[in-house]
Amino acid sequence: MSTFIQLVLSGVLIGSVYALMSIGLTLIFGVLRIVNFAHGEFLMIAMYGAWAISQLFGLNPYVAAIAIVPAMFLFGAIVYRLVVSPALDKPHLVVVFATMALSIFLQNAALMAMTADLRDIPPIFGRSLTIGPIYLKVELLLGFLITILCTVALQWMIKKTYLGKAIRATVQDGEAAMLMGIPVPRIFLITFAGGSALVGLAACVMLPLFSVFPSVGLNFVLIAFVIVVLGGMGSIEGALFGGICVGVMQSLSSYYIAPAFGQLFFFVLFLLVMIFRPNGLLGQQGAATVGMNE
Amino acid sequence: MSSIVTTTVSERRIPVLPERGRISWFELALLAISLALVVSGIAPSLRDVILLSFLFAGLALAWNIAGGYAGLISFGHSAFFGVGAYTSTILLTRYGISPWIGIWAGAVIAALFGAVLALICARLRGPFFILSTLAFAEVVRIIALNWASLTGGPEGLSIPPMSSLSGMVFASKETYAALMLGYLVFVYAITKGLEASRYGYYLFAIRDNEDAASAAGVNPLLGRGLAMALSAALTGIGGSLFAQYFLYLDPTYVISPELSFQFALLPAVGGLGTAIGPVLGSFLITPLSELLRSYLGNAAAGLHLVIYSFGLIIVMLYFPAGLAGALNKFKRRRPTP
Repeated sequence: MSTFIQLVLSGVLIGSVYALMSIGLTLIFGVLRIVNFAHGEFLMIAMYGAWAISQLFGLNPYVAAIAIVPAMFLFGAIVYRLVVSPALDKPHLVVVFATMALSIFLQNAALMAMTADLRDIPPIFGRSLTIGPIYLKVELLLGFLITILCTVALQWMIKKTYLGKAIRATVQDGEAAMLMGIPVPRIFLITFAGGSALVGLAACVMLPLFSVFPSVGLNFVLIAFVIVVLGGMGSIEGALFGGICVGVMQSLSSYYIAPAFGQLFFFVLFLLVMIFRPNGLLGQQGAATVGMNE
Repeated sequence: MSSIVTTTVSERRIPVLPERGRISWFELALLAISLALVVSGIAPSLRDVILLSFLFAGLALAWNIAGGYAGLISFGHSAFFGVGAYTSTILLTRYGISPWIGIWAGAVIAALFGAVLALICARLRGPFFILSTLAFAEVVRIIALNWASLTGGPEGLSIPPMSSLSGMVFASKETYAALMLGYLVFVYAITKGLEASRYGYYLFAIRDNEDAASAAGVNPLLGRGLAMALSAALTGIGGSLFAQYFLYLDPTYVISPELSFQFALLPAVGGLGTAIGPVLGSFLITPLSELLRSYLGNAAAGLHLVIYSFGLIIVMLYFPAGLAGALNKFKRRRPTP
């Protein structure tokens, strides 16, 4: 029984970290109606950034986030200007291919700059937290707390601030929002850059848990897609819910079934959700069947 | 308007530039050049590149039937490629069945996979469809990697490199080049036939407006399923040919997102939903990526892909209709007779 509780708890914690990584993706999807296929590479770049800071200045990644998050905001803004915004008014395939090419570009640029070696940082906290028979990694607990804080802060921002209202108006009806004086292109820019900044935060939380290498993004981006679809595209609390589902399932299936089939499980689950609940478990009505940005 | 006029005035004349459902001088010239390349012994270092350009042109055309004509943008086609490759290779190495037969078995099984994928994604549109195809291919990939008793698992499968006609293993690259060109012409002929057929028009209708097509009596589910199955079968054939050429199946390559992207990108660069587009895309991109790989691959790991993907971003942003779109502009500028 305690094994089961242990597995579920670890699953919830790791799932919340996955959720943090997926919130940026779901936010960008919800507002711009595009899928950023380079999302995983954004994560990879930010992880390298946090790693470099820890190497150069000996700062731990949680402190490095202070520099990484604004840097990723800027990076997202530049990518938006150069690649995404010129593609937005073209057929929706253009943005798919452009972000996909960007992902290949970033991956190989990282390969050139950093080689294929795995990089990681020394453990920050010496030992795990023990509660009775349960062991919990401190890094995971911190990741969980940061995710919860981040979700609450984002929800507050979306509900209460002017920017959040402008974002919601843009989501509901871009043209009407424009007529009401909301600068929709700037909302797009801020959302894309903000989503990238969130990936930067996720990278800082993930660096103590995972090694970084040029194609690390590919491993995580597929998980992020599963989470985003499970939670319903565009929904922040959905991403948290989807992340925790995926984390628990991964943790249970890799223990009780086989580690190799953990991934298989995600994708089968993803396809099942797509067949039976194509709008996700908490999703917007009709999103999947109407066809967005077409 | 103008096209109606030209067809009635000169019914038997062969058009200069590619037109839907008709063979043009441009296409015949391209075929003649390809044949000349195969027959004449060109530089051995380029033979690989030419042969791969033919193979990938065929694969890009196969993808284009689903992606370009039916609007089913799939990023899971490497699953069909892998299924075809594994089927013919397993039949050959285990049961000694000639690939000349095994290829068709692979095509049938790949078609079944295609139909299943179409059924799974029947209600999905846009990014949801794309992501589901990606997930589908991942499922197939993980199964192939873990079902070691059938697929050899991560070690892959090897075909004995003894050259024989019945085993479809040849000593000369020219023979392989002819085989690949044969595949390309086969898929091209099917594509051209599709363009002119009633079923082809059904597909265009489904792609352009599914609700309207459905109201006009076209069954979208059947149309999508058949398009995906046909596209998958042709991709599976390409997979078998690939296995027969390299004589080794690397499971991390034959079913991979990278390969799926490749199948989609060649038509995107060349021009989606046209017959000539995927061919032009492959003739441009395949040599480019192979040459970049051979010249820069050693200089710095990843440099060739950096250049290649950078070029791709530029092409996608500034020439979204692809090379065929550029050809079409040229055509429109001509004075109509």
